[in-house]
Amino acid sequence: MLRCGILVFLLWAGAVHAAAGDDPLQSPQWTDLKQRYLGAARVVFDPQVVVTGPKVAEDSMNVPVGVKISGLADVRRVLVVADLNPIVKVLEFSAQGALPVLHFRMKLQQGSPVRAMAETADGVWHVGGIWIDASGGGCTAPSVGRGTANWHETLGQVQSRVWPGEQQSRVKVNIMHPMDTGLAPGIPAFFIERLALQDATGREWMRIDTFEPVSENPVFSFDFPGTPPPGLSLVGRDNNGNRINARVAQ
Amino acid sequence: MNHKFQEVDLMKRTLTSVLVAGALFSLAGAPAVAAVTDKDIENDAKSTGDVLSWGLGTQGQRYSPLAKINTKNVKDLVPVWSFSFGGEKQRGQESQPVIHNGRMFVTGSYSRLFALDAKTGKKLWQYEHRLPDGIMPCCDVVNRGAALYDNLVIFATLDAQLVALDQGSGKVVWKEKIDEYSAGYSATAAPIIAKGLVLTGVSGGEFGVIGRVEARDAKTGKMVWVRPTVEGHMGMKDGKENGVSGTTNATWPGDLWKTGGAATWLGGTYDPETGLAYFGTGNPAPWNSALRPGDNLYSCSTVAIDVATGKIVWHFQGTPNDGWDYDGVNEFVTFKSKDGKHLGGKADRNGFFYVLDAKSGKFQKGFPFVKKITWATGLDENGRPKFDPANRPGDPAKSADGKKGTSVFSAPSFLGGKNQMPMAYSPDTGYFYVPANEWGMEIWNEPVTYKKGAAYLGAGFTIKTLDSKEIGGDYIGAMRAIDPATGKIVWEVKNNAPLWGGVMTTKGGLVFWGTPEGYLKAADAKTGKEVWSFQTGSGVVAPPISWEQDGEQYIGVASGWGGAVPLWGGDVAKKVNYLNQGGSMWVFKLHKSGK
Repeated sequence: MLRCGILVFLLWAGAVHAAAGDDPLQSPQWTDLKQRYLGAARVVFDPQVVVTGPKVAEDSMNVPVGVKISGLADVRRVLVVADLNPIVKVLEFSAQGALPVLHFRMKLQQGSPVRAMAETADGVWHVGGIWIDASGGGCTAPSVGRGTANWHETLGQVQSRVWPGEQQSRVKVNIMHPMDTGLAPGIPAFFIERLALQDATGREWMRIDTFEPVSENPVFSFDFPGTPPPGLSLVGRDNNGNRINARVAQ
Repeated sequence: MNHKFQEVDLMKRTLTSVLVAGALFSLAGAPAVAAVTDKDIENDAKSTGDVLSWGLGTQGQRYSPLAKINTKNVKDLVPVWSFSFGGEKQRGQESQPVIHNGRMFVTGSYSRLFALDAKTGKKLWQYEHRLPDGIMPCCDVVNRGAALYDNLVIFATLDAQLVALDQGSGKVVWKEKIDEYSAGYSATAAPIIAKGLVLTGVSGGEFGVIGRVEARDAKTGKMVWVRPTVEGHMGMKDGKENGVSGTTNATWPGDLWKTGGAATWLGGTYDPETGLAYFGTGNPAPWNSALRPGDNLYSCSTVAIDVATGKIVWHFQGTPNDGWDYDGVNEFVTFKSKDGKHLGGKADRNGFFYVLDAKSGKFQKGFPFVKKITWATGLDENGRPKFDPANRPGDPAKSADGKKGTSVFSAPSFLGGKNQMPMAYSPDTGYFYVPANEWGMEIWNEPVTYKKGAAYLGAGFTIKTLDSKEIGGDYIGAMRAIDPATGKIVWEVKNNAPLWGGVMTTKGGLVFWGTPEGYLKAADAKTGKEVWSFQTGSGVVAPPISWEQDGEQYIGVASGWGGAVPLWGGDVAKKVNYLNQGGSMWVFKLHKSGK
């Protein structure tokens, strides 16, 4: 009876139900990872969840990745994971007015699937992903910032730029932060854990929970339908409680 | 978890029953995460199941009312667990742990905080504060412990910040900057909580900082009041001016008060009965006293601050116009005397023990607690020292080349008759248990000018051991039981190396303390007879604690050699340079034979 229900759902959604062993990326970690992050929830592999990135990462500490979700209604949140990283969870975002699109850079310890898993209002997880090859070591090397004497002075500084458009606009931010993973010997984990784009009234348009595998001095691009809301700022904090609060350039 | 619970229930019950079940669940869940209240903290000295404050109660008596471990059975005290602070940062563990809800919170060197299961030593979480390379702690990368309030555990960091974390998750809830580490500020003391406020001082007396006491809302970190401990500086309350401390230039010449030191680096104590917080203050800056004629208030003093107003109610200065770095931060411990007076005791770095009225600060009694004091011949009827002018380091301006003043040999050394290691008081015996040190120094003055972020001393010095004939043996450390009523040393246990850990005493008639040689020791509180010791594997420079869990009494102490002695040691080095660094937490209880 259960199987029958799945089949009906499958036909209806046009997506492939994700049972153990049917991972299109054939990752040895998928079964465990699914259990750990998605529990018993329904999971489908869905072409509407698109992850973009290089076939081979040039720099394992700065791998450009894009996540774009199109056609799915009521996306609550999107979880990005790298199956074979020592720290699997990369970030989690929730677009609340911004488009469900995010571009960023991350660290890869070795070649790995990079997946986006989007939860819709009905509790179903829609999964898409690609395999990115990498020479590796991105998570266990000290940050460049750790070796410079003045990282403390630039900590949390934000540069931003807006590309306005009538149909769609893009906001790009760069935050100064070492983003140490805690896996390099003798260097404790030190990373941004929360970011949000707020307008002048305090309304959040995009929220991101970030984890250790996000690259040093993180770069994020956000897309807005039409022009971005006025008075936008980027607010957040790291795991030491250091605050980030910067007006986004208009 | 709550969410999941409801989902399961949805399958078999009606919506109403789910809501009822949900409500019951949260009610049942609440007591398990009981928050620490002001009442709990005020009762900390009496409660046995927790240790909520530095000092085992904010009065700082370090007395445990537990007697399950006592003079008769202490020989059966055995280790339960040991926990390594890990990493390569094995240095100077001066922390007193706190205990709440079966969790232990202990800080480590380099601004680390560990949450452990108090019974098993299992690690629950750890927090490692990211430190800039340029931090300037004068006296090693230590931390003396955390404070508990509500669901928070709060501690200060070497880069002069206060961090409050959730006791359960270890996530940072709030963080506030005390001051700029690049100007020489740091923070190593355990905060204390009084009436919902978290009270903290500052470190950096060697860099010309401004000593002060700050009170923040413990739940949010929001500043409530600031009280500078250098005369001439404006206090603040709720964002408004709250009166200058003292009278500008009354006891300081020219502009020197602007970089006057008097750092409150050991934190303070608080007595709910008087409503006063007692903070010791450090040396005036610079060390060269010829530059600053006058008493230099409120350096080398105890200041009593009304927690409600943020104003100084009284002060008592041990070393006016200090010229020896007799940095009087030492804790002021309030107690009830046998004739019913509400008093406080302080074993000052300058070698004198002071007994003052807790409410008014009026001098009651003062006497030496070390055997050799050179700089003063005694105290007058108000407790003011009778200086020996010949024992004050000379003015370099009066020397032939203007570069070095007359050198003198002074005792105690600048590391003090007692330093950061807190003493204990037993209401059972009526004695204070003081970890004292006998040592001296050659000290001379040099010209100096203030430069932001640079050491601001204007003195040279080297520590010397004292003649064994003068002090009755070849030793530096001495655990001394002192009767505040008579001023007599009732008993002492000598120690080869200088004592640098704190003390705890118990209803079980015991006194516990650690030694740089690595031993945690226990002696009979009445007689001083050593009844137990255990080798912890590295020097102990931290105060022990005791608590009760599931009917058993536990003793805990951090081990890890470091602190100021190996950095400034001079002649003393030969007594300590063989000691290895470390970083671990040890916990003990009585052995029970297997059934």
